[in-house]
Amino acid sequence: MAEAFMAYPELRHPFQETPIHPNGSATVLYQGRTITLSETGDGDNLLIKPEDLGRINGFELKPEGACYADMCIPLNDELLPTVEGEQWFDLTAFAGLLEQPCVVDREAGVWSFAEIPAKRRNMMVDAMAPEFEVTDRKGNVVRMADLKGKKALIVTWSSW
Amino acid sequence: MPVWQQVYEEINDPDFVIICAAEDVGGEAVAGPIFDAANPTYIQVVDVDHIISSAFNFVNVPSSAWVDEQGRIVRIDEGTYSKTHAIGEGEQAITFGNDVYTPALKDWVTKGADSEFVQSAEEVTGNIRGHSFDQLKADAAFRLANLFRVHGRKEKAEVYWQMARELNPDSVNFIRQNLTLTEEGSAGETFMQLMGDYVSQGREYYRPLDL
Repeated sequence: MAEAFMAYPELRHPFQETPIHPNGSATVLYQGRTITLSETGDGDNLLIKPEDLGRINGFELKPEGACYADMCIPLNDELLPTVEGEQWFDLTAFAGLLEQPCVVDREAGVWSFAEIPAKRRNMMVDAMAPEFEVTDRKGNVVRMADLKGKKALIVTWSSW
Repeated sequence: MPVWQQVYEEINDPDFVIICAAEDVGGEAVAGPIFDAANPTYIQVVDVDHIISSAFNFVNVPSSAWVDEQGRIVRIDEGTYSKTHAIGEGEQAITFGNDVYTPALKDWVTKGADSEFVQSAEEVTGNIRGHSFDQLKADAAFRLANLFRVHGRKEKAEVYWQMARELNPDSVNFIRQNLTLTEEGSAGETFMQLMGDYVSQGREYYRPLDL
């Protein structure tokens, strides 16, 4: 057997079990962010309060639709269902329209959304760097857009 | 990779930045000491969720993109070594990396668009790996696994890490990351078997370096 190195078995599962959303009803993962939703609607799809849409994926509800940059998705009763007099935004249906993959663990109430393909289209068309947002080791938020005016080497590595 | 600090200091240009992202699920506990040992002044990110790799469709480390002042990618997805490295000594030594990448990088920082190493948008887009629906879904599964790990739900974490690997078998990042935190480690028998399969299927975990 080849010699193994860089193994950290003690770090595979070092954490104690803790509630995922102790003060909420669901958790959404998107672009490395964890968003706790205080209220969600009943059903198989993830029904969120319309005002929560922006803090999840940056889309803004406008008369012409749910909009992000130059992209607007027209709204309809499927996306904005009314249940017992309360209006919701169907994030699962929205993801379907955007061809945005999602992995759900219903038992835990966690929806993990992948990147929206349309947001990456520019990279595949004219080589424009994709948007991303990460937090550095000093706690600063680093966005691709913040690097405009500078040359950047963006390089990945790992201890493995 | 901490060795980039030397390159960063040699370039010493206020309009050049390095973002160095450690794709370690072990997080700060694993990557932090390695960063600290290099006393880096560039931007350091511990990218547990592989946000950077996903954004640029990388499948392995070290991989990189050069992005110019307008936000356009001018090179992408190459095995990114600052120099030739050697593990071991004498006849047992294993070398990897190269000595041409860093000079090319320095040339680009100095000359910008006039550098011979700048690629056209057409070349760059041709070098960007596809990221299918299933591969995007693998990213979502991987991040879900990481969340469960942090909350002590190890059975669920294992399920979704495995899902990520199955949805995106091209990702060496997922293969190795999943092994790093095991007894066997990321370079043991399982890894050798998986990489043997990977290569025998004609897949490239690094795009051939074209410099």
